[in-house]
Amino acid sequence: MIGRRSALIGMATAVLAGAIPVQATVAQEKKTLAFVVNVPADFWQIARRGTEKAQKELPNYNIEFYIPGEMSAAAQKRIMEDLLAKGVAGISISPVNPDNSTEILNQVASKAALFTQDADAPKSNRALYIGTDNVAAGRQAGEQMLKSLPNGGKAMVFVGTMDAANARERLQGIKEAIAGSKIEILDVRTDGGDQTKAKANVEDTLTKYPNIDMLVGLWAYNTPQIYNAVKAAGKEGTLKIVGFDEDQQTLKGISDGAIDATVVQQPYEFGYQSMIYLAKYIEGDRSFIPADKQKIIPTQVIDKSNVKEFSAKVRDLLKK
Amino acid sequence: MSHTLLELRSITKTYPGVKALRGVDLTVGKGEVVGLIGENGAGKSTLMKILGGVVKPSSGTIVIDGVPKPALSIKDAAHAGIAFVHQELHLFENLDVAANIYIGREPRKGGILNLIDNAALHHRVKPLLSRLGVDFKPDDPVERLSIAQRQMVEIAKALSMDARVIIMDEPTSSLTLTETDKLLKVIADLKAAGVSIIYISHRLNEVRHCADRVVVLRDGRQVGELPKAQITSAAMVRLMIGRDLKSLYIPPKAGIRPGGLEVQGLVTSAFPKREVSLSVSRGEILGLAGLIGAGRTSMAQAIFGVDPALRGRILLDGEPISIKVPADAIARGIYLAPEDRKKSGLLLDMTVAENISLPDLSRFAKAMLVDTAREATVAKEQCRSLAIKTPTIDTDAVTLSGGNQQKIVLAKWISMRPQFIIFDEPTRGIDVGAKGEIYALMRALADAGVAILMISSDMEEVIGVSDRIAVMHEGQISGLLERSRFSEHNVLMLAVGNLAKEEAVVHA
Amino acid sequence: MLKKELGLLVLILVIGFITAAINPQFASQVNLMNLANQIGLFGLISIGVGLVIITGGVELSVGSMFALLGVIFLDLLVNHELGWPLSLLITLAGGSALGAIHGLLVTRLKMQPFVVTLCGLLLYRGIARWYTADSTQGFGYGEGYETLEWLMSGRTYNIPHTFIFLIIVAAIMAVVLHRSVYGRYLFAVGKSEEAARFSGIPTNAVITMAYVIAGTLAGISSVFFVFYTQSVSPSAHGNFYELYAIAAAVLGGCSLRGGEGSILGIVLGTVLLQVLQNLVNILGIPSSLNFAVMGAVILLGVLTDQQLQRRRQHRLATASADARELAKEGTAGAAV
Repeated sequence: MIGRRSALIGMATAVLAGAIPVQATVAQEKKTLAFVVNVPADFWQIARRGTEKAQKELPNYNIEFYIPGEMSAAAQKRIMEDLLAKGVAGISISPVNPDNSTEILNQVASKAALFTQDADAPKSNRALYIGTDNVAAGRQAGEQMLKSLPNGGKAMVFVGTMDAANARERLQGIKEAIAGSKIEILDVRTDGGDQTKAKANVEDTLTKYPNIDMLVGLWAYNTPQIYNAVKAAGKEGTLKIVGFDEDQQTLKGISDGAIDATVVQQPYEFGYQSMIYLAKYIEGDRSFIPADKQKIIPTQVIDKSNVKEFSAKVRDLLKK
Repeated sequence: MSHTLLELRSITKTYPGVKALRGVDLTVGKGEVVGLIGENGAGKSTLMKILGGVVKPSSGTIVIDGVPKPALSIKDAAHAGIAFVHQELHLFENLDVAANIYIGREPRKGGILNLIDNAALHHRVKPLLSRLGVDFKPDDPVERLSIAQRQMVEIAKALSMDARVIIMDEPTSSLTLTETDKLLKVIADLKAAGVSIIYISHRLNEVRHCADRVVVLRDGRQVGELPKAQITSAAMVRLMIGRDLKSLYIPPKAGIRPGGLEVQGLVTSAFPKREVSLSVSRGEILGLAGLIGAGRTSMAQAIFGVDPALRGRILLDGEPISIKVPADAIARGIYLAPEDRKKSGLLLDMTVAENISLPDLSRFAKAMLVDTAREATVAKEQCRSLAIKTPTIDTDAVTLSGGNQQKIVLAKWISMRPQFIIFDEPTRGIDVGAKGEIYALMRALADAGVAILMISSDMEEVIGVSDRIAVMHEGQISGLLERSRFSEHNVLMLAVGNLAKEEAVVHA
Repeated sequence: MLKKELGLLVLILVIGFITAAINPQFASQVNLMNLANQIGLFGLISIGVGLVIITGGVELSVGSMFALLGVIFLDLLVNHELGWPLSLLITLAGGSALGAIHGLLVTRLKMQPFVVTLCGLLLYRGIARWYTADSTQGFGYGEGYETLEWLMSGRTYNIPHTFIFLIIVAAIMAVVLHRSVYGRYLFAVGKSEEAARFSGIPTNAVITMAYVIAGTLAGISSVFFVFYTQSVSPSAHGNFYELYAIAAAVLGGCSLRGGEGSILGIVLGTVLLQVLQNLVNILGIPSSLNFAVMGAVILLGVLTDQQLQRRRQHRLATASADARELAKEGTAGAAV
């Protein structure tokens, strides 16, 4: 009875933590490198392709990919603790709550090589950050907004939650770029990660501000929901849309001309470079680390001019 | 009666529109057992609430140890040593005996940690239990105790508070005959030790056994007081209802007819190694006596399909039938009026009409939708023919008295052409007047050709109402009695099995 | 019985009028139709969960069912090109089957509904994520389901089909719950399963049926949600929706102890919840306060209702004392 119950609890914990390694540990003598993400998303599928490419180039390492079940620092912490217990050689992580995870990150850094990717934890002892400069990405988006609304106008911003660093930084970049222009950001509406709510937020915005000029989606799913709601309201073409990331519907919207532009990151490079550099670092090479310990992978603007080839590339990467 | 411990003088209590008590006097001497009887609504519970300090009298005086007071507070009552053993026991099943006895008054230790001093607790509880001569220990969990044992826990709790007067409200309503005997012995012991008892019961036999004096209430008035020598059932009943009560037994008008229900080698989950065989003819009332836990209710539930039999045959008019769920039984006209009316017999929060139509709802339905107009018509008919006192048929069943609730349970079945009805403790908690009505109903059903099995732990009822008595002991029928051989002694002998003859003799 | 619903309706109207007074756009046709759409989306499942709550159970797995059935539906329709009628049918059957499993576990194996459906919540979410390898499912470039898209997300006379469908389902379920034999049995089982069993009601079948209805409605809802969001992210789709459904049912007068509730109440509960979500946006209240507004109003609503109930019960108690008095006199007279 007790045995059965504890097995059940074990199962439930595993489901909650999502701590199921994608690749089983094959050989013990091989050193293990782990790529830990923050939450399940297509974005990370592309990063995974990068780690897979790195695995081919690093036959002496065993690369594992971890996706926590929910977006929480606790779930990540559990994964890191398990990895340390297993004797991992290097971890590249996208910390959910970098400011408050310093302790566990430093614990990892004291026992293994630690990189951050996608989101940085500058207060921790991480050796290197590989990822996007979200403020710079925000600036790029802001420039697109200026291009779309040369005479200024009113804009609304949509995002999951504002307590995420990338949301704050992207917004900061946008504000820097549009500072002094006639573009005014009316408000930021959040949906807590619920896409139904995300779309309802857009619908309500279109009701409250029938003459709104621009809608901006900060997270990957926000832009498609903006696109859906605008289409349903029959307002395509009467207002401008700028977004982030490469959701299939976002790219479709750009092809249709309903969305002006999206700023995309290169998660493939996060995955690939994290693993390659982690291996180098473990082998004693420090030459690739810049003074500020940040390796910025530039973001790219996708608009009507380059959407076709970019779509093809993404589709290729997502194919199994 | 050496000296007066407690005296109530012309206590009156008026509620808006109702006079619950009108100038009641009651005295209780040290070491005296006072029987307090009266029909439901006669004012007994109001009087007890006044003694417990829960309700303040409108006028009158309460004298305790010679000190007169206009009213008691709950604290006063506890201080005066007045304790209650309630009809519905107020115990925590998830805690052990000792914890229940000292709940809220636990001996503490450990300073601010406020730990329970279990050693001291058990030390205090042990002598209480041995004084009562019980067969359980301080650390036994209450959930494993029988109802009788739980009652002893309540009495121990009263003693632990240095009670001088213990008020027992229907203490035997859920006890078996031997358990009742035991309780009466404990009462005698308490009395000898100088503890006074106010004994409230509908079971006049017991009152006769234990009371030194009986006080009778009717309609809020004290209508009589019987000294020990004058306590007889007839005298008590006369005072309670204001006239003589005829004998319980109503002889059959039509007599026994062929057919009926027969049970052959029935094995229930309660006694997987015992077989029960029994037959009830159409037109007769077969009383089924026995100790609680003898397997009577299990057998009833097996016949009704609530807890289907493991093996055995059930025959209706000689034809074997298969009963897997209650619906199978109901389809054959086999019905059960269960022991726990409030839990199993009725949906208390549903209306009278909804309760009556429930088992046969599809008969009231057109195209799967309930025809509420027909439902209401039938409900009104039943209320009239069974004399159910309810303001309207849309009144929730919970608001009615026990007797009327029981009639609703019967109304459910009577409109469905019954063949065989099991009454499990049909009059538990019902007052004398309503009891008579239920008995009359049972007889009318029998005369109409229904076979009736009446499970009862009330000796007066078993002997007074049945045409024949079957007695069960540990999952088997231990004997059958014809009317000529009816006596408490004979029933008890069979109920306790042959090994316990002596105890039965003592009781008789 | 109707008083509760009336109170809720008054509350909705008061909140609506105040919101409209502050920002008239609240009452604009566009907004009301958007609102109707949201009510339609969330109302269906609130009815399903409400029925389960009336049996005295609870259904926690609907949010995860949306994710699992949503990805299955998209997979059948887009990747397997099964054609929409069959895809829709399989999705509905899937919902019914999950409901039936819950019902059987609860009734036959006597497991607690909370545990059964909590495990469902974890299990279905996990399967959905594993099935899709954690990638968002969308319609891609699939075709051939324009009829279904119109049915599920179109509008007629500008009224969203989700809302029309909810009204139809609510009307049917109201008749079933309040007029039919099954509905009466459902209330009886919820009030006291034991007394219902002693009256010959097939309690297991009645309870299981409630879970099947909830599962089927969850199946239909998943398709509505898929067409609303146009994509299903298996890890986030439908998160917390079970709580919205429970909240709507409780607001609408369903007691978590079972045996109480009405379809009208559940629908009005959904309306209130969605009005609150909408007014947060329309009045420009910070999004972060969204949940707080909802929690506060539910708390106040249920509290007020309970106070009114208590007053009613007090009146009842007085009435019943009178009734007993009456009965006593009656029995004394009728005694043999």
